Amino acid sequence: MNNLKLFKRQSINELSTFYSFLIGFVIAIFIGSIILLVQDKNPIDTFSLMLRLSVGSINSLSSSLNKAIPLILAGLGISIMNSVKLWNIGAEGQIFLGAIAVNYLYINTQFNSPTLHIFVLLIAGFAGGSLCILIPAITKVVFGVNEIITTLLTNYIVFGITIFLINGPWKDPKSLNFPAAAYVGEEVFLPTIFGKLSLGFLICILFTALAHYLKNKSVFGFEMRIAGGSALTAVYAGINARQKAFIAMLIGGGFAGLAGAIELLSQTHRVSTGISQGFGYTAIIVAAITGMRPLGIFLVGCLFGALSIGGSVIQTIGVSAYISDIIQASTLFGALIIQFFFTYQIKKVEND
Amino acid sequence: MKQYILEAKNISKSFGNVRALEDVNFYLEKGIIHGLLGENGAGKSSLMNVLSGIYQPEKGSIFVNNIKQTNLNPEYASELGIGMVHQEFRLIESFSIQDNLTLSKSNIYRDDFKNAFEKYSEIFSLSVNPEKTISELSVGEKQKIEIMKLIFNNSSIMLLDEPTAVLTPQETDQLKNSLKRLSEEDEKTIVLISHKLKEIREFTETVFVMKNGEMVAENLLTENVTDNNLIELMMGHIKKSVIDKSNKVGDAKLNIKSVEYVDKVNNYKLLDNINFEIKAGEILGIAGVSGNGQVELANIISGIQVDYSGEIFINGQDVSGKGVKSRKKLNLSYIPENRLGVGLAPGVSILDNSIVKDYFKTRRGPHLSKTKTKTYLENLINTFSIKAPDSKAEISTLSGGNMQKLLMGRELISKPEVIIASQPTRGLDVNAVEAIHNLLVDQRDGGSAILLISEDLDELFKLSNRLLVMYEGKIVKSFDINNADINNVGLAMAGVIE
Amino acid sequence: MIDIQLIGLFNATLQAATLLFIAALGELITEKSGILNLGVEGMISVGAVTGFMTAVNTENIFLAVLVGVLSSSAFASIHALVTVVLKQDQTVSGLILTILGLALSSLLGKNYVGKKLVTKLEGVTSVTDPSSILEVLISQNIIFYLAVLLMFITSFVLKHTMFGRRLEAVGEDSRSSDSMGLKVAKTQFIATCVGGAFAGLSGVYLTLSYVPYWTDNMTSGRGWIALALVIFGGWKPYRTALGALLFGFLEALVPRLQTYGFELSPYIVKITPYVITILVLVILTIYKGGKTGAPKNIGVPFFRENR
Repeated sequence: MNNLKLFKRQSINELSTFYSFLIGFVIAIFIGSIILLVQDKNPIDTFSLMLRLSVGSINSLSSSLNKAIPLILAGLGISIMNSVKLWNIGAEGQIFLGAIAVNYLYINTQFNSPTLHIFVLLIAGFAGGSLCILIPAITKVVFGVNEIITTLLTNYIVFGITIFLINGPWKDPKSLNFPAAAYVGEEVFLPTIFGKLSLGFLICILFTALAHYLKNKSVFGFEMRIAGGSALTAVYAGINARQKAFIAMLIGGGFAGLAGAIELLSQTHRVSTGISQGFGYTAIIVAAITGMRPLGIFLVGCLFGALSIGGSVIQTIGVSAYISDIIQASTLFGALIIQFFFTYQIKKVEND
Repeated sequence: MKQYILEAKNISKSFGNVRALEDVNFYLEKGIIHGLLGENGAGKSSLMNVLSGIYQPEKGSIFVNNIKQTNLNPEYASELGIGMVHQEFRLIESFSIQDNLTLSKSNIYRDDFKNAFEKYSEIFSLSVNPEKTISELSVGEKQKIEIMKLIFNNSSIMLLDEPTAVLTPQETDQLKNSLKRLSEEDEKTIVLISHKLKEIREFTETVFVMKNGEMVAENLLTENVTDNNLIELMMGHIKKSVIDKSNKVGDAKLNIKSVEYVDKVNNYKLLDNINFEIKAGEILGIAGVSGNGQVELANIISGIQVDYSGEIFINGQDVSGKGVKSRKKLNLSYIPENRLGVGLAPGVSILDNSIVKDYFKTRRGPHLSKTKTKTYLENLINTFSIKAPDSKAEISTLSGGNMQKLLMGRELISKPEVIIASQPTRGLDVNAVEAIHNLLVDQRDGGSAILLISEDLDELFKLSNRLLVMYEGKIVKSFDINNADINNVGLAMAGVIE
Repeated sequence: MIDIQLIGLFNATLQAATLLFIAALGELITEKSGILNLGVEGMISVGAVTGFMTAVNTENIFLAVLVGVLSSSAFASIHALVTVVLKQDQTVSGLILTILGLALSSLLGKNYVGKKLVTKLEGVTSVTDPSSILEVLISQNIIFYLAVLLMFITSFVLKHTMFGRRLEAVGEDSRSSDSMGLKVAKTQFIATCVGGAFAGLSGVYLTLSYVPYWTDNMTSGRGWIALALVIFGGWKPYRTALGALLFGFLEALVPRLQTYGFELSPYIVKITPYVITILVLVILTIYKGGKTGAPKNIGVPFFRENR
C-alpha cells in the first residue's frame, strides 16, 4: 500500500519566489475573470482595456509609474524593517504624516531657492514618516510591545489628525465641499521628467538602489540580519540588536514618509484624505510577494501601480475598482500556496 | 518463533542527503527492558521517532502485535500503546502536572486520577502536588512526570530516549528501580536509549547496538556480552586516540577571580566564588551535570552576561567591565553550548553566519565586501573540511557536524588566545567528535588556553590537563587529570564530597 | 435631562462593546490555538456585507445572521488553509485576508450602498426607548445576549473541558501536544474557522443592528481594535469583555462630548481609543514584565519533522 506523506525540501529553488509570484498572478487573473464573468463583463475585453489604459500611451504609462512610487517606497521601508524581522503595518499613517510634515514646513518657512526648498521638504517628509513610527519604535525596543499592533494603530491616529487639520486649522476656505488644506505653491511642485512622470520616480530608483545596498551589501544589513535571525546570536556577536531594530524602524517609516511627500508635491498638491488610497497596505502585499527583495519590490510596485490605474479607469464601464485590489491580494495568496510546494514535497511512501 | 509485541523491519529514513537509518531491524518482547546502545548520531533517536509515528520512514514496515501498521502517526501510535520520552521535554510548561498527564485521548486514569497519581508517585519516589505547574518542577521531577505520562496514556511500549542524561547518579538509581518495577508489575515493555555502558548493564536484559544508522547487533543478552564487545560494536574499529599531554605550558592567559553571579529574581547564587586560571597550552575541563552554573560561567567570561561581581583577566588585562567586542579584540573565542540559536543565527545564510566573529575585519566603513566574506568562508570550508555546497542557503540546511565545524572554524581560525568551548561535541557522530577534538588539541598545541565545559566524562578525561567539578554554582573539587578517578569525579558531580 | 443622556450613553456603550467583543472573543479562540489571524477586519466586513445582502434580498433576519456567520467562517478557512495546512507566514496571510476581505465586501456590496433594511435586528423586548439601566439591559437584540452567553461558554470550555485544554495545549506547545497524540492541525483549523464565525457574527451585528445600512469600509478599524483587545485582555474572555466595555464607552462618548459641554474637537476625541490602546499595551507589557499571557506557540507554523 502506498501513502502520500509530506517532506520538507532540503534546498529551495532560488527563483521560487519569482515563480510563485508568476503563478500567483495567473491564479489572480483567473479569479478576477470569474468575478467579471459573474458581473456579465467579458474578462478579455476588460483586461485588455485595463492594459491599454494603464500602459498603452505615454500618458497612461506615466500615471501608472507615478502610482507605483508610493507603493515602491513604502514597500522598501517594509522590507528594510523585515531584515530585523519586524513588521510595519503603519506605512499608511507614515505616508500621511510625511505629507503633513511637508505642509507644516511649507507653511512655516521661506526659501529663496525652489530647488533647496523642494529638497528640504522631501527631507521633512522622510522625517515625518520616521516621527510617525517613533512611538512604536520606542515601545518596541524599550518595552517589547508588539509592533504590528502599534504601527497599525498609529494609522488611525494619524488619519484622525489629518481629518482634524483639514477640517480645522488648515482648512482651505476655498475648498467648500471637500475638506482639504490649501494648495502648496507651484514653485515647490516636483518637476516632471517624461510625460506626466514625476521626478519622484527617479528618487524612487535611487532609493531602491539605496535599500538594496543597505540590505545586501552593507555592514548594517548584515547586523540587521543577525539581529533578526536570533537576538541571542546578536548579543553573542556583540551586535546591539535593539539599536539596529530602532534604526531600521526609523528608516522604514522614513521611506513611507518620503512617499507621502512625493504624493503631496507631485500629485495632490495639498493635504487631503486623498494623499494615500491605501498605498501603505498595498505596499505590504508588494513587499511580501517579492520575499522582501528591493529590486523585486520595484518591479512588482510598477506592475501594481499599473493595475491600480487600470482598476480606476475601468470604473467608467461599470466595473468596480476593487477588482484590482482583489487581483493584488489573490496574487499573494496564490503565491503563498505555490511557495508551499517549493518548501515541501509530497512523496509516496513504500510500506514494503 | 518468539512472539514480539513490536517488530520493525528494514526501516530506512533520510533527511536530505543525510541517511539517518539504513535498513534497520528492531523487535521487542513484552515485559522486558531493552537497551539501545550507540554513539551520539548513531540513529537511535531517529528510530524511536519512526516507531512513535513522528518521522515517516521512506522504507520498511512496522508490526504491532503482529498487525502491520501502514499509517503510523503520533495519535495512532499512542492508541496502539506506543509512547516515547524525548530528549527534550514534551511537557506543556504552563499547564499543571494533572493537565499534562490527562490531556491525551488515550488517557486511562482521567476519572481515577488521584489514586493512580499516588500509586505511581510512590513507584517513582516523587512527592509533588499534581496542581503544580510544570515550570515549577526540577529537571529530575520533570523527567519523572514525562515517564509517568506514558503510563497514564496507557502505553504498553515505553521508548525512553536518554532519560538519564539530565539526572544525577542518585536519580538514575531511583529510575532504575522504578523501571524494573514497571516491567515486572505492569508488564511494560521498555526501551532505554543510552550511550553509557554502565546503565545498559544495570538497567536492561537485552541490548541492541546501532552505529552510523545501522543496527550492528540485535537482541544480545546483556549478561552474556562483555563491555569490550559492546564498545567494539558501538565504535567499530575507530580506536579512540590518546592525547599526548606533555606539551609545553606557558603563562596564564585567563584568570577568573572570585566571580559571583546572583539570580536577582529568586535571590539565588548561580555562581559562587569561582576562581581559576588557565595557562597557554592547557585545557581546563569543567565537569558537572548541566544546570549547575556552567552556562552562566561561559556567558560571563565571554562578556554576554555583565551583571556579575569579581574580576576577569585575559592575557593579564582586566576585562571585568568590558563587553563582548573588546574581549573579542583580545582574541577570545566562545563556542556556546547552544549551537543554533546562540552561536549561529537560524534563518540566516551560511555566509552571514560564517563571519559573525570577524565581520568587523572584513568591513570597509559601512561596506561589507562580498568577495572578502566569500574568501573568508572558502578558507573556513577548506581548512576545516566543512561540507557546505551552497553558501547562500540557510544555516539549518547543514548537518549538525558541519554546523559545529563551521562554528568552531569561525572561532578558531584566528588562533585565539583563549577559547571557551561549551559542550562542543554534543549530538555529533563519532567522526565529527574526533575531528572537533583534534581541532581543540591543535589549538592547545598552538598555545591557546582552553576552557572545556562538558557533560561527557570520557571527553573531559581524554582532553583535559586539569579538571574542575561544578555543583550548584560552586567549584566543589579539582583534579589533576593524572590523579583523577572517574568515580570520584562522578560523586563530586552529584554533590558528594568526602 | 442628564439621566436620559447617561442611559443613552450606557446603551450605546453596550452596543459598541458587543460589536468589538464578539470579534475579539473569536480571535482569542483562534490565538489560543497558536494561530494569529490579522484578518479580523476583513472577516467582519465579509460577514457584514453578506448578512446585509441576505437581509435585503430575503427579509429573513435569521437567515441573514446565519449567512453572515457562515460566509465569514468560510472566508477564515482561507487563512487556515494557507497557515495551518500549507504552513505559510501567519502575519502575511492575515494581512492579506484583511485587504481581500475589504475589497471583496466593497465589490459585493456595490449595489447595496444606500439600500434600506426592511427588517432589522430588533430588541428582544418591546422596549424601544429605554429609560432606565434595567430597560437598557432587557432591550438589547439577541446577538447581545448571545455574546454574553458565548463569553461564559468560551471561558468554561477553555478552562474546564478537555477540548478547551487541548486547544490551549496546542497553542502553548504544538510539538508536545503532537507527541501526546493531539491533532494539532485539526484543532488549529477549527479554531481559525470558529474565530471567523465570531467575526461574522460581529459583522452582522454591525449591519443588521448597529448601523443598519452598508457603505465601504464601514468596519473602520474595529477589527484591529478587536485584535488589540485580545492583548489587552491577556487572552482571557472576561478581561477582554471588560476591555470591550472600555472601548465601547469611548466610542459611545465621542459623539456625546459636545452635548456635555466639552470644547474638544470630535476628530481628536475620535483618536483617543487608539492612543489609549497603545498606552494600555505599554503599561501591560511593563507591568507584566513581558508575560502578557500570549500563547507561546503563536505565529509559529508546526511541521512535525522539523528538527
